[in-house]
Amino acid sequence: MVVVSYYFYSCWDWRFLFLLLFSTLLCYFTGIKIEKSTVERERKFWFWLSIVFNLGFLAIFKYYNFFAFSFSEVLNNIGINSSPLLLDVILPVGISFYTFHGLSYVIDIYYKRIQSEKNVVDYALFVSYFPLLVAGPIERATHLLPQVKRIRSFDYEKAKQGVYQIIWGLVKKVVIADTCATYANAIFDNYTAMNTFSLILGAVYFAFQIYGDFSGYSDMALGMSKLFGLDLLRNFNYPYFSRDIAEFWRRWHISLSSWFRDYLYIPLGGSRGSKLKQVRNVFIIFVVSGFWHGANWTFLAWGFINALYFLPSLLLGTNRNNMETAELHWDFNSIKVFFSILATFSITCLAWIFFRAKSIDIAIDYIRRIFTNGNFLSQYLENERYNYELILLVLTFVLVEWNSRYKIEPISGKYSWLKMTLCLLAIIALGTYADYKEFIYFQF
Amino acid sequence: MTKFITLVAKILLTILVLLVVLDWAYTTVYLKNSDRGKIQHIFNSKARNYDVVILGSSRANNHFVPELFEKKGLKTFNYGMSGAHLFEASLMLKLMAERNYKIKTVILEADLSLCNEKESEAIAAKFLPYIHHSEIIAAHFSKLDVFNELYYIPFYRYIDFDALIGFREMYNTATKKPTNILDNLGYHPLGHKPGNMKNDIRALKPIRNKYYEEIKQICRQNHYNLITVMTPMCANVKGLDYFEKANQIYPEIYNLENVVEGDQYFSSCGHLNDAGARLFTEVIIERFFRNSTN
Repeated sequence: MVVVSYYFYSCWDWRFLFLLLFSTLLCYFTGIKIEKSTVERERKFWFWLSIVFNLGFLAIFKYYNFFAFSFSEVLNNIGINSSPLLLDVILPVGISFYTFHGLSYVIDIYYKRIQSEKNVVDYALFVSYFPLLVAGPIERATHLLPQVKRIRSFDYEKAKQGVYQIIWGLVKKVVIADTCATYANAIFDNYTAMNTFSLILGAVYFAFQIYGDFSGYSDMALGMSKLFGLDLLRNFNYPYFSRDIAEFWRRWHISLSSWFRDYLYIPLGGSRGSKLKQVRNVFIIFVVSGFWHGANWTFLAWGFINALYFLPSLLLGTNRNNMETAELHWDFNSIKVFFSILATFSITCLAWIFFRAKSIDIAIDYIRRIFTNGNFLSQYLENERYNYELILLVLTFVLVEWNSRYKIEPISGKYSWLKMTLCLLAIIALGTYADYKEFIYFQF
Repeated sequence: MTKFITLVAKILLTILVLLVVLDWAYTTVYLKNSDRGKIQHIFNSKARNYDVVILGSSRANNHFVPELFEKKGLKTFNYGMSGAHLFEASLMLKLMAERNYKIKTVILEADLSLCNEKESEAIAAKFLPYIHHSEIIAAHFSKLDVFNELYYIPFYRYIDFDALIGFREMYNTATKKPTNILDNLGYHPLGHKPGNMKNDIRALKPIRNKYYEEIKQICRQNHYNLITVMTPMCANVKGLDYFEKANQIYPEIYNLENVVEGDQYFSSCGHLNDAGARLFTEVIIERFFRNSTN
């Protein structure tokens, strides 16, 4: 499976196989060295060697040009003429994911939470396992390595669930994400000509594009792994049914959120200490999380805005209020739940505008136009479709997800064959193929 | 494992059945409607009589005003289509001939399209629903690399060109959603949009085009009088000698590139506005149909 994974990665660009191999061997050997070292200074040396190299690769390939360009801009602004020395490198696909695999492994060994892996092939598979290599979920050595080492036998029920999950992931990707993308792109790329109605729909379509794209990929990765008898970490748990932003972050990109919680937030002190310190920790974790997505001020702004959203529940101590899955009944409390979900989704969409926009100025202008244009008429977009045409599809998707929010995917259970046939029908007839879009998270 | 293989086999069978059923359903819808496009308009028609039929790209669609021909007593339809190449013009003419259209004169706009023999995906896709119902269409597409997939895999063509003939277009066709494509006898007038009055066509190289040769042959066989023209462009074009080079290869093509001058007659550099199109059509009528009356 290691060979298959490396072949899979080489299909994108074989030259970066060496980077993947180097990162793997570095963590493998430093892991063993950290464990074997009895002297604290030596342990620290190997630990920091691994951290510096891993983060160094990330810094060079992902962030160097951004910092060089930003630094040059600052100098120019204060009157010192400078032109940035930029590197002509492309971002290796999945570097943020496999680097974080390695980092968590080395940190866990350093803090003696796990023992180092002695079998280099098993460790290489943990880092390079093909379904999660390029877009996660970000696995932990404590979770995946024991499964890799175990002798697995074929489990029909698990494989069947895996197939259902792959099919549902495909629905999310080609029916929801790629279709929403054509509309969202047409609106965002021409936002100055759009009215309030189109701008709101643009943000909503992008929200479903990124959700369908990323959670669809995760579903396919999880489903495929089940065919091999492996259980990967769940990455999404119906995040758009969250009642507050804290719940949203417990349900969105769970493997990354929990990674930052365990390896950054808690070491910083987490929710211990003074309120000021807690606020600082929240801002650090959200801004770093935003920056993890890409070297652009828009991602930083997106992280910062989410920290602002999170702040009230932290200060009021309500961030762990909504731990159970939301329910709606015919009573007064359900009205409150419904509007909480709607409000959380709305502010999430506002933040997504920063994530999607090419610059912070554009994002601010986009939002300003939502509130100042005031025109709610339908508009014919550049993709030769009307802005409202997708609303029914999105609402149907929301209903299906709502009805299956206690399950991994909506196909299993009663009438599974009928539901699967409907999904296949949707994939074939409603999918967007001519305007193929690569998975968004491949770029991170 | 046997159970799993059975499950996978059942899924594959379901996919195959869905592909066949959907292919049949979509094709049936397209076969029963002739109001949403010029290709449907021809394919689902019987013999028609025309004095003048116009073929070509948007530079035909936006430049020839059938209303002015009709005033002269000439029954005319503009079958020019935005984005069309000579590949599609040739196929349309073949279909007209197959349906025994009686046409006195075919006006073909062949200028910038002379430089390539490729199909225009956006237009060619509109023929694909009929690929199993027309040997002419199947034969015309048979030279393409993707022919086997398009022809033999059920529903593949609707997936490959989903933006053009997929669910949305099928639904609009089934519900007879109106379009303006056939309005004004096929002519699409353009307004005057100031700006963008420059173009660079130095990279274009006219060639001896096999689809133009086909069109000439079809016209000869069916006794259609063929008038091939090159239509106007704005003054600020780099590489205007393209038209002379095209004329060197095909001396029979009338170079009318400069018969309408002045940016006020253009919508963009390559397209006349309605006023310009009317002026241009008057020139065409005066030049080729001065003595024609029906």
